[in-house]
Amino acid sequence: MDVTIKNEGAVCFVTLNGRLDTTNVQRFNEDIIPVMESDAKEIELDCSGMSYTSSQGLRSFLTLQKRIESKGGKMVLKNMQPNVKQVFDITGFSNIFKII
Amino acid sequence: MNPESFRFCPIAGEQARIIEWILSGLEGKVDDNVFFNVNLAVEEVVENVVSYAYEDGNGFLEASKEITGDGILRIVIKDGGVKFNPLDKEDPDITLSAEEREIGGLGIFLCKNLMDKVYYNYENGCNVLVMEKNVA
Repeated sequence: MDVTIKNEGAVCFVTLNGRLDTTNVQRFNEDIIPVMESDAKEIELDCSGMSYTSSQGLRSFLTLQKRIESKGGKMVLKNMQPNVKQVFDITGFSNIFKII
Repeated sequence: MNPESFRFCPIAGEQARIIEWILSGLEGKVDDNVFFNVNLAVEEVVENVVSYAYEDGNGFLEASKEITGDGILRIVIKDGGVKFNPLDKEDPDITLSAEEREIGGLGIFLCKNLMDKVYYNYENGCNVLVMEKNVA
């Protein structure tokens, strides 16, 4: 999973590309530390290039959102692929996250 | 796909190799969404066995796979670790808010939802989890 982070004013844009699975979730958790620590009020994750996530990936998203919200920030997930969206739907995560 | 099986030992850190073996030959043979679902179900089960089946983190995992004549993909995951039926675990409450949601417990829930049938047996001192999906 490639993670690109770009801060523009109060918004932090994060682009995700590739698979998020057991082989790379730890690396992903490290890659998103700057997002966790960001002072941005809005975090936008572009998921159009994310082709897969396991439950470990879902946990990473939940941890990230909890962290962002604890600082009064907001997080949105954009352009999710249907297969990935299905994983969020089954687990009820679609109701927890703002997905547009 | 004729029945095939492979015994992995030791399994610590071998999740990727085990998952790759189970999925090999399936991609392109089944619908993309079906492949995605099987991939995820297999990953969740293999991850659980590798992480929790053996107290010292090492032991065997025997994987079997076949597509039956009537188009049912059957994957069997067997381990000789601590007796554990993952299907006994209560489903997570998916209606809870982010604050109330616990981190974890989603893997087997996903597996049950993504496959058509999942069942467990304890046979000769081994945990045996069978997953089936119609791929016809």
